[in-house]
Amino acid sequence: MSCGVRDIRKPEHPTSKTTTKAEEAMAEAEKVDEDIQDLRDRFLNSEFDEVTFEIDGERVAQYALACGETSPKFTDPGHEDFQAPPTFVSTLVGRRNMPSDFPELGGMGMDAGKGVEWKAPVRAGETLTGRSHLHDIYTKTGRSGRMVFLVTRMELFDSSGTHVANADTRTVIREKIRA
Amino acid sequence: MPDTHSTETVSNIGEVEFGSELPSFAPDTSTDNTKRFGKYVGWDSPRFTDHEGARKEGLPGAIVPGVLSQGFLGAMIHRWAPDAEIIAIDTVFRAPVLADVPHTITGTVTDIDEDEGTVEIDITITNEAGENRVFGTATAKLPT
Repeated sequence: MSCGVRDIRKPEHPTSKTTTKAEEAMAEAEKVDEDIQDLRDRFLNSEFDEVTFEIDGERVAQYALACGETSPKFTDPGHEDFQAPPTFVSTLVGRRNMPSDFPELGGMGMDAGKGVEWKAPVRAGETLTGRSHLHDIYTKTGRSGRMVFLVTRMELFDSSGTHVANADTRTVIREKIRA
Repeated sequence: MPDTHSTETVSNIGEVEFGSELPSFAPDTSTDNTKRFGKYVGWDSPRFTDHEGARKEGLPGAIVPGVLSQGFLGAMIHRWAPDAEIIAIDTVFRAPVLADVPHTITGTVTDIDEDEGTVEIDITITNEAGENRVFGTATAKLPT
């Protein structure tokens, strides 16, 4: 992908090995550590969990009220268009967050964030099926060392097979400095 | 806890201006609310519902569950644009949101796609010291 920055002093040539500083910086940023690439090759996009959820209207309404939603569409189970706020799917937790054979990375995992892609309404009384896989593994390096980010994606489907949402959990593991 | 939400709302994408700020919103971070959340939704560990229990776990006090903080962000968008459909929201938990401590949520429109009817919004939860605790980006679809 082009970064939009090009050193115009250097002629372009298809076989040239010449790269700009911006391209070198991008290549450095995109470089994946060997151990992380190995984890990506072994674990990304392989389903490791499947679980079903009964969507309870009272739970949805109480979630919405706690969040500060005011529309009866989210807070009143008797409303004709009652549905869960999109972020509700982040409360649906599978049996496991990682593949059973995923290695210990030597640090404590912390919840670094949640992401939701909404595709269709989640209704009370519906039974959803959640299928989980590791969606991404990447690192960031700071003053305290390397941090490994693991993105677990749960894809949610309703009983007709409609894909209603993706719920991502981003876990960060701050690696212990090796002596 | 006071609910200081503004009544300013938008009903369609034509009313949205690039760079405009959403009405700020003071989320209910009280332990009464985290207890209700724990009772009906989950996350009922003492670290979320009880200051003393949280301190025993090494925390400065009870904290708001991350999934509830994410829900605050969604509610803010719906309060501003009641007919909006939030089609994507990504939330980064930078630091704990302490319970029973006032926080403020602010949001800014960072992009508008009138053809798609969508807006991009940056949203931040800050504490009284002005420190960012949670940051989110959302894409919402509005009526055209």
